[in-house]
Amino acid sequence: MTTHAEPLYVSVVTPPKNGRYSPLFLVWMTGLIGALGIGLVSGLHVLLNGLGVTNLTNALPWGLWITLDLSAIALGAGAFTLSAAVYIFGMKQYEAIARAAVLVGLLGYSSAMLALFIDIGRPDRFYHPIIYWNVHSVLWEITMCVVLYSSVLVMELVPIIIESTFLRKYKLAQRLSHRLHSLMPLAAVFGMGLSLLHQSSLGATYGILTARPIWYSPSAPVLFILSAVAAGAALTLLVTLLTGKLLHKEMVPSNIITGVARLVGFACLAYLYLKLWSWAATSYYSHVPDRALGVEILDANTPYNFTFWFGEVLFGALVPAIIMLWGRMRRNHNILMLGAFMIIAGLVINRWNVTLSGFVIPMDWSPGVRDVFPINTYSPALVEWGVAIGIVAYSWTAFTLGVRFLNLYPEVRSLRRRAMSVVDVPPISEPIIETPIVATHMGEVNPEEPIMAMPPPDIAPTIDETPPDEGDETQKS
Amino acid sequence: MSETQNESDNTPVVDIEDNDQALITRRELMTLLVGAGATMVMAVTLSDPIANLAHDILQNRPKPQESAYHWVMIIDLSKCIGCDYCVYACQATNDTTPEMRWNIRVEDETPQGDIFHVTRPCLHCHNAPCVEVCPVGATYTRPDGLVMMDYEKCIGCRYCQTACPYGARTFNWYERNEENPLVPEWGRPEVPRRQRGVVEKCTFCVHRIDYGLANNLTPGVDPEATPACVNICPVKARHFGNLKDPNSNVAQIINSRPTLRLREDLGTEPSVYYIPPEGLL
Repeated sequence: MTTHAEPLYVSVVTPPKNGRYSPLFLVWMTGLIGALGIGLVSGLHVLLNGLGVTNLTNALPWGLWITLDLSAIALGAGAFTLSAAVYIFGMKQYEAIARAAVLVGLLGYSSAMLALFIDIGRPDRFYHPIIYWNVHSVLWEITMCVVLYSSVLVMELVPIIIESTFLRKYKLAQRLSHRLHSLMPLAAVFGMGLSLLHQSSLGATYGILTARPIWYSPSAPVLFILSAVAAGAALTLLVTLLTGKLLHKEMVPSNIITGVARLVGFACLAYLYLKLWSWAATSYYSHVPDRALGVEILDANTPYNFTFWFGEVLFGALVPAIIMLWGRMRRNHNILMLGAFMIIAGLVINRWNVTLSGFVIPMDWSPGVRDVFPINTYSPALVEWGVAIGIVAYSWTAFTLGVRFLNLYPEVRSLRRRAMSVVDVPPISEPIIETPIVATHMGEVNPEEPIMAMPPPDIAPTIDETPPDEGDETQKS
Repeated sequence: MSETQNESDNTPVVDIEDNDQALITRRELMTLLVGAGATMVMAVTLSDPIANLAHDILQNRPKPQESAYHWVMIIDLSKCIGCDYCVYACQATNDTTPEMRWNIRVEDETPQGDIFHVTRPCLHCHNAPCVEVCPVGATYTRPDGLVMMDYEKCIGCRYCQTACPYGARTFNWYERNEENPLVPEWGRPEVPRRQRGVVEKCTFCVHRIDYGLANNLTPGVDPEATPACVNICPVKARHFGNLKDPNSNVAQIINSRPTLRLREDLGTEPSVYYIPPEGLL
């Protein structure tokens, strides 16, 4: 095993120096910048004029932004599952996708923190949970975990940034990157612990509230973490496949796609299993008056029943689980992307349903027999949508730039074989196989471990330390 | 059968007997026993201090034994006529808007169809869900049972509003700069307005209680030391006092009459007791 001071890095995703950005990319970025502008204006409006500009009320104080927080954190869970796979369970080949998962994770967590910053009444006191502790509060625990875990994600991302940008030229940055990389297993253990804690505590945020019968449930924390494991990996899968489709590249080897899809599928099944029993115990076999009345109210006033069965269960978990676990389905990447999208949509619907269902049902504390309190209603105000759109646009923009400028997919391979110029074609009569682009972390090449992207040795040239500029030649189209 | 197969296959079979080592040596056994013994001794001797430490860290429950007071309100639903005086007095004294009233009234009916009125301040629960969930400890319980707000700590996350079973908490959605139309007819503001972005709630007029105790007055008896809503009630449906004093009016009422507390099934143990109207309970 050799350790190179200079990382063995071949730039494949940065655009060619004399190349042009594609029209699709320009349209996409323009749209995102417009959405960011909307978000900025809406955010400033809320910060200047207070939360009174939203449609939130004292009876229904949490809404769209909380759904966004919960969804963003759950969708960032791919980072901890895949980092754990690589560094704790020794499945080194998943490093091909783990870096992208780390970026997706950090974007999810930073989106959630942005949304929370706007959502709290005193954003200037955002740091209070760090200095004033209430160890009983699941929300305190979540805040601490989210802050700490975001630091872990930053720590995992910094080496990728250093090795992918001009920073790699500096000795100090290299040393930092190397030091951080040696801490990766520790970061993975720490990150998994923190994630297991707060991903489930987010469910407990609702699950521990005795006063709200529709929420009060011991299964809420476990349902939250299982759905986060499924949806977090599903989002990483979706963005990876989508990026590959747009760039005409194979971002990660297909066996990695298969592995992640299977993980997602099994997580979906576990989620469905618990969800079924949770539903059966609380809504089917139980006739506890408070809860039964609550379900009745929801069915009569909201599309809860429909969105639960079709959005969360059938199309949010069951159908995608079949897609993820059935080889024939999974091999068609279009269907696989559709499956991943369904899981993500199902998760967002679930977080919305969970948040809203508890608030819609009024808490009847009055001792008489009359239904004293009105059913609460909520639809987000325009400014709430504006902030949400801005935050989503932030994460999409950052991911787009990440794919373009960072070495997120170390085992990426171009699928544009015909596009190669004749000069570049190696003099082999076999099917053309490109110079493999192999870059493991910090250029550590372990000869004992076969690298997945490497073609069979008889036709492949040995790992070629092509300078980045020449490497780019092959990518031109 | 299987043995012969094993032999014929030449599969190496690990046999403990063949292995010259015993399952465990005497030395190892002794180490184990001594270790287990030491662990047990340590567990027994240290369990109490550790449990106490954990209890101190993890239990921020009120410590009623530290106080000679437990402030309690009794609301007589059989007397209440629904005049809303207590609502207005509170709104003027604590300077709230109609949307963020600390003390509200609702109309309810008994199973027989008789209408009665329920007024609800903050119930100052012993096991207050809002105190449990606040991430920064901005809401806390005093030893005398009052659930208080620290407006300087509150970050405005509104989890306490979500957790309170009684909807007793209101949020400052706007910067307050409007005139209070109930001043001075129903009273004068005795506390400063709260900032935009924090949660607030009924305090049992804690400023009056603390002022009274500092000046040898008895809250619940002397009006200067008694919550505004109790003072103003025209039918004397509200009583306030120290439940720890067996001679106080509240202790005597609770000992002599049937009372109920709201949502006792939740185990929150409110400090507000209701005398039910006829036909209820």
